[in-house]
Amino acid sequence: MKSIRRCQHIISLFAVLFIIGMAVLVFKIQRESAFYMMNSDNHELGIVYDRNGDVLFDGSDTNAYPDNYFIDVGNLIGDDKGQMTNTLVAQNIDKLNNYSFSSGLISEGGKAAIYTTLDHEANRAVYNAYGSQKGCAVAYNYKTGEILICTSLPSIDVTNGYANIDSFESGTLISKTLYGTVPGSTQKVSTVIAALEIMGADKLYSKAFTCSGKYTNKTGDIIDCHNVYGHGTQNIQQAVENSCNPFFAQLIEDSDMPLNKVKNVYEKLGYSLNGADPTYIDIDGIQCETASTTLNDPYEFQTQWGCIGQGDTLVSPIQLMMWQSAIANENGKMTMPHLINYITDVNGKVVQTDETTYSKQLFSQDSASAIKQILLTNGADQYTYSISGYTVGVKSGTAQVDDNNTENSLLVGFVDDQNFPIAFCILIEDKSSSLVTTEQITKIMLDSLYQ
Amino acid sequence: MCANPLAYAFSCFFVLIAHGAMLLNVYINGNYSDVSDVAFLAAAVISLDLIYFIISLFFRQKSYTVDLLLILILNMSVIFQSCFGGVSLSVKHYITCITALAACKAGYLICRNYKWLQDKKLYAYVGICILMLVILTLTGSRSMWIELGSITIQPSEFIKPLFVIACATSVIQQQKKQKVLIFNVVYENLALFGLTAAICLLQWWCRDLGSLPTFIGIYSCGFMLRICYPKAKFSKKKLIAAGILLIIIALIGIKFAPEYVQQRLHADIWSDQNGEGYQQSQALIAIANGGWFGVGPGKGELCNVFAYESDIVFATICEEWGLLYALMMIFVILILVALPLINPPRSYFHGTLSAGVCAAFTVQMALNIFGSCNLIPFTGVTIPFISAGGSSLMVSGFMAGMIIAGQSPAFPISEKPRNQNTASARRASI
Repeated sequence: MKSIRRCQHIISLFAVLFIIGMAVLVFKIQRESAFYMMNSDNHELGIVYDRNGDVLFDGSDTNAYPDNYFIDVGNLIGDDKGQMTNTLVAQNIDKLNNYSFSSGLISEGGKAAIYTTLDHEANRAVYNAYGSQKGCAVAYNYKTGEILICTSLPSIDVTNGYANIDSFESGTLISKTLYGTVPGSTQKVSTVIAALEIMGADKLYSKAFTCSGKYTNKTGDIIDCHNVYGHGTQNIQQAVENSCNPFFAQLIEDSDMPLNKVKNVYEKLGYSLNGADPTYIDIDGIQCETASTTLNDPYEFQTQWGCIGQGDTLVSPIQLMMWQSAIANENGKMTMPHLINYITDVNGKVVQTDETTYSKQLFSQDSASAIKQILLTNGADQYTYSISGYTVGVKSGTAQVDDNNTENSLLVGFVDDQNFPIAFCILIEDKSSSLVTTEQITKIMLDSLYQ
Repeated sequence: MCANPLAYAFSCFFVLIAHGAMLLNVYINGNYSDVSDVAFLAAAVISLDLIYFIISLFFRQKSYTVDLLLILILNMSVIFQSCFGGVSLSVKHYITCITALAACKAGYLICRNYKWLQDKKLYAYVGICILMLVILTLTGSRSMWIELGSITIQPSEFIKPLFVIACATSVIQQQKKQKVLIFNVVYENLALFGLTAAICLLQWWCRDLGSLPTFIGIYSCGFMLRICYPKAKFSKKKLIAAGILLIIIALIGIKFAPEYVQQRLHADIWSDQNGEGYQQSQALIAIANGGWFGVGPGKGELCNVFAYESDIVFATICEEWGLLYALMMIFVILILVALPLINPPRSYFHGTLSAGVCAAFTVQMALNIFGSCNLIPFTGVTIPFISAGGSSLMVSGFMAGMIIAGQSPAFPISEKPRNQNTASARRASI
């Protein structure tokens, strides 16, 4: 019998291995069945809501809404047609499907939904404020990470479909908040952070450089200032308020700012330097490009120009806004943004809830406090009237694009109010043709959110 | 005749109830245009049940459990196959199932007497060699099929039962060690190893990568049982070393496998959903679509995909009948192959035979199900008894007969009279 038992052991071994395999398979199917279904032609998509219950996307009946009802969120929320891939719906389509392995595909009465953090009404107000201008605006709660406003122009009304796709303007199908743009002088915030990290606040405040309208650097290249008459001798606070390019060029050349240390700070901030592979910030499946610039030689034009925020420096508006959260919170950590508040499945059960998360430490709390003070002073000195009613810390920027033929206007900042903790970034393309300013958009944005 | 008619009748009744429930489901939820299609299917299934119940009684067996499980699973298979894409009796599959039942009885009759089979084992080797020659000359290096008009035959399938017999009959040779230099050699072990290597090389040449693990599974099973044979004195250390060696060889094989194998190993079916990953992605979508309880017999869409009735049959059944039913079906097959755990084989030879069959069936099921569901590379083998295919069904039936032979063996009648105790002791040690 002992020898026959050996045969039984072998049979048991094969049977047990097979049963384990089957258990793994059933578990896998259970877990991934929604994903499988999204790869089929049969979808029954649910609804995407804003924070107040307003509809942002309806997978069941898009014709029930007026024209342009979704246009302010068209290229962010997206749809299931496959033309836009980096959108909330495209990246979370399996969660939005009214399907479960137990219930199957439900065509009517399914409760699969994504409840976002967006404020549709405020978003629409900001979208309308742009008028015929192009650009983008994004704002979030820097305490919780909830994205409240995120609009990009030109946009698309997904209910109208893509029949005229050939006539769409460039940038219609992407949310520009997610992609790198020349940051202009808003980049100087990063350079100030680098200076604070390397030499400390006291030493930085003790530095003074003279601007005569332009500066010839140590390799003979000229850095122009927007004020052709020059700003004279300034400290860091004045240089930030004046957005003085020669000051920052001289700061980069300063012996107390070794380039390797600048690089370290920039890398901590999330820059891809000197052609390194780009990385992405994940916002509920949506990919947001991270910053990139060139830092080769502190005496070369390209490096100085990059630290000033021109040339090949690129930063996405969302990342500019995220840095503001690390400043506003005075902890040196970015509050990671999220668009999804919670998700319900086909039966209405909450299956996913987004929580507040933070980045690793980008810079010290001391540096955060110091730069916060600089930006708040700048806000108080220059934006008290244009952004009235709010205590804001801000930095403006003018970005030269299209081979310096066009200038974009940017404004990044935060509201210094524990009960209204908003960080934002506004971009207006081709500012020379614009009838609105970034300050006006900011004011409308904050007013809309404050209501 | 049956020793316990009441138990037999009750078991038969259970089989009829199971098939009746399935047919009722077809009637209520099935996709058919004429109710006579369902009636015709029901008549075919129930009549085959009844005929087999009666015919089985003409075979003197100690146990009929495998027979009843076999008719249960085969007629389940007939119902499944007849419902794919719309209810209509699949006559071809029905006939092959009858052939499988006949093959089962043939397998039982051939394998029940180990002494007789031991004497005839040379024929197993010769049969394998002939089949290998047939593959070499008739199928070609990229195929595994021989086409005879409308009939296609897969010769490699027929090697499987012969190979199981070859492995089982070699057990006795452990007692005949020859001293060669400093080694104790069993010539038949070397012959069997050579045969295994030749079969594997042939499968590789045919690119029949699905059958390759099945043969390796059978051989591993036979090898383990031979080296564990009481007189083999094979230590556990050697056993573990052999296992490790096998794993290393497998890893090296995977590392240096040809490009087409590497492609299968690292295929991303979702990024190539309309190309290489088409069958698997459609299979997984179908399983998801079916859920626990299926969309209804004949209402699935996977029947429009190539090999829906064979290579990805598990997914097709899942879609139409639900994952729960498909798991029950697999469970029935598993009970069939694992029956020797409950009702032990009566000899070591039959134990080896049963273990070999178990290895072949479980490896095939694993390759088919896990492959079509993207857990492992997709190889395109059949699920025993369920997938369509005459060669596969016949061989599966024959191998089920081997299990029956283990349950109800016929022992050789000794010419010299012995007392009862000696005979029993010998029986247990074989």
